Amino acid sequence: MPPTEEKNTLVKPETETWKSDMERVGFVRRLFMARNWYGADWWFVAISTVMVFAFIFVALFPGLLAPFKFDQVVGTSFLAPGEYPDVPVLIVRSESPVEKLLDLAVPAEAIRPTVGVIQGAPAATAVNEQSKTLDAQLISENKGLRLRPRIERYVTVEELMVAIDTGLVQAGVANLKEFDAVASSYPSLHSGASITSETASAGGFRMGTNDIGQDVLSRLIWGTRVALIVGFSSSSISLLLGVPLGLMAGYFGGSFDRLLSLLMDSLYAFPGLILAIAITAVLGPSIYNVIVAIAVLYIPTYYRIVRGQTLAVKEEVYIEAAQSIGARRGEILWKYIYPNVIPSIAIVFSVNVADAILTGAGLSFLGLGMPPTIADWGIDLARGQRYIQTAWWLITFPGIAIMLVVLAFTMMGEGLMEIYNPKLRER
Amino acid sequence: MPAESLFSIRNLTVEYHTRAGDVKAVDDVSFDIRRGEILGLVGESACGKSTLGKGLMRLHRVPARITGGELLFDGRDLMSLDEDEMRMVRGGEIGMVFQDPMTSLNPVQRIFDHLTETIQAHEPETSIAAARLRAEELVERLGIRRERLNEYPHQMSGGMRQRVMISLALTLRAKLVIADEPTTSLDVIVEAKFLDLLRELRQEFGLTILLITHNIGVVAEVADRVAVMYAARLVEIGDVRQIFANPQHPYTRGLLRSVPNITLDDAELYKMEGAPPSLLHPPTGCRFHPRCPSVMPICSQKHPPLESVGEDQQAACWLYSKEVKHD
Repeated sequence: MPPTEEKNTLVKPETETWKSDMERVGFVRRLFMARNWYGADWWFVAISTVMVFAFIFVALFPGLLAPFKFDQVVGTSFLAPGEYPDVPVLIVRSESPVEKLLDLAVPAEAIRPTVGVIQGAPAATAVNEQSKTLDAQLISENKGLRLRPRIERYVTVEELMVAIDTGLVQAGVANLKEFDAVASSYPSLHSGASITSETASAGGFRMGTNDIGQDVLSRLIWGTRVALIVGFSSSSISLLLGVPLGLMAGYFGGSFDRLLSLLMDSLYAFPGLILAIAITAVLGPSIYNVIVAIAVLYIPTYYRIVRGQTLAVKEEVYIEAAQSIGARRGEILWKYIYPNVIPSIAIVFSVNVADAILTGAGLSFLGLGMPPTIADWGIDLARGQRYIQTAWWLITFPGIAIMLVVLAFTMMGEGLMEIYNPKLRER
Repeated sequence: MPAESLFSIRNLTVEYHTRAGDVKAVDDVSFDIRRGEILGLVGESACGKSTLGKGLMRLHRVPARITGGELLFDGRDLMSLDEDEMRMVRGGEIGMVFQDPMTSLNPVQRIFDHLTETIQAHEPETSIAAARLRAEELVERLGIRRERLNEYPHQMSGGMRQRVMISLALTLRAKLVIADEPTTSLDVIVEAKFLDLLRELRQEFGLTILLITHNIGVVAEVADRVAVMYAARLVEIGDVRQIFANPQHPYTRGLLRSVPNITLDDAELYKMEGAPPSLLHPPTGCRFHPRCPSVMPICSQKHPPLESVGEDQQAACWLYSKEVKHD
């Protein structure tokens, strides 16, 4: 048929321009421009879903991913990301079995080991004092071991290094930064443990340490669990209470609906965080109370949406048809109205989780949320803000974490909403 | 055929409570539906046909309310039943087919679920498997392959959905099916098939059908008797052939004359004067009198009773009343 062929040739170039347009732009551009093309919002959903699942994975297995426990003191306080503390450490040859000062202990009658120090350095006195304390301990343990190193003094770091390298002394003691400065010239040497305490020499933490020497990264990872627990459980509680109430109010109507709507609207009208503060202030700081406070806050969100949808669905012909076949009221509510309302609830839930996490962090930040023994982003933020001028890493990383989680959940919810309800697009 | 009454409607009044005032959408309507017949109920839009149809099943929700009358169905007074007993009548004894097949099935339920749910709502002891077997037999009879029971409503055509609606009424052997403009949204071919199906089902299941429509042609095609409604009242009822051949009420006459037909030739189609009245403030007396070509003084004062005007034909018009002296 000639007319259809003609039509086809007319339509074809247009579709191709559209296609090439889409293909001409790069990946990142396509990501952002995707919203302009019909049905391309799946990018948003895909990326945010991956993020959401990544956060859920982290929250499920923090022990696998975090290098330390959240409440473990692992190093000196206020270490910047990647920084090592400048403490006196033991420096030995790489093949030497000696790692810490106690390794130098020998039987009482054996030859005393020599330890090199730099003249006048605080490390010199430190090694002396530490040796005496450790020796006293060894005597009390009564194993026949003694720690009485002979101290050799050198003028420069280089001299000390050469002495260690050539085996004149079994080990040397120098500040870590001094050693780092010359370490490249003496590849056979390496730094051992701190001579004062085990954790003092630990460093190189990805996100630094906080004011009491806890690993910021570990606290961040363990904090994900708390954030998601608060987000998911409070949203679930609101959902479990708000949805049935909304369904019943919408379906049965009457004074039940009016009374409940009045209550919910007054809850809704209250500024969210203030209400949550009031509730937690009364109940006291604990993770359960935070969940309850946030759950109360978001019940009206579900209630209003479900009630509105129920009112709309109730007027559909298939509800009347269900009545005409003799279906019970409960059946109509559960099998006819509820499944037609649920898609919009899923979307609200996703956005709601993000909101709840934010509110939970806000409460902790104000000191009303979690007890201080819990690893929580809000608490970390509150503790870190005192040191904002000296230790930027204390609040930056928890802040980014909160932002990313909230962004992921919100993006997923909004993306789903746009796909589910194209009417909202182009708004 | 001896005319045994299946459903006697006596003085039924249904009111809508609106802000503007109470509106009687069905006003003092009385008629019988006879066992095994197809009764066509015709009238203009908004004359109360659908309200009457729902009223027969007591399906009204606020703001509508049945304010008076009796509903005697198969020897039982439906008005005296409580909600739970009424629920058993709905679907069990009276089924309903709605106007728009596209929206009258639950979009998130499979066809199979609709049917088994109907069965289980009335016979909770029936197992799902047994219910499914019954449903399969029934839909095959109605010309839907049994595999399609697993589909969702949106996967079916309008005609098929309307057949599913019928099957919902038939699963429990309903005695009466109220079909509320069942063919309005179907094209003529599907409509014709559907009407054939209705006739077959009447033969096979001894079904009684109340066919609500504004399509005179459909009534002429399948109905045994026809009832004509105007402004919430019944104006004429009787055997379909008699009414089509010899309409008595001026409104019925006008209605039939305004239907286009092939014998019309060049003559202009009849157009009734005026417009249907607002039910909020209906005209006094006979509601048709402002538009009636043969209006008399009494018409605006008293409402005429439904009186016999021939064999199996009744009309509510003062023209045929013995009370009034005619010139």
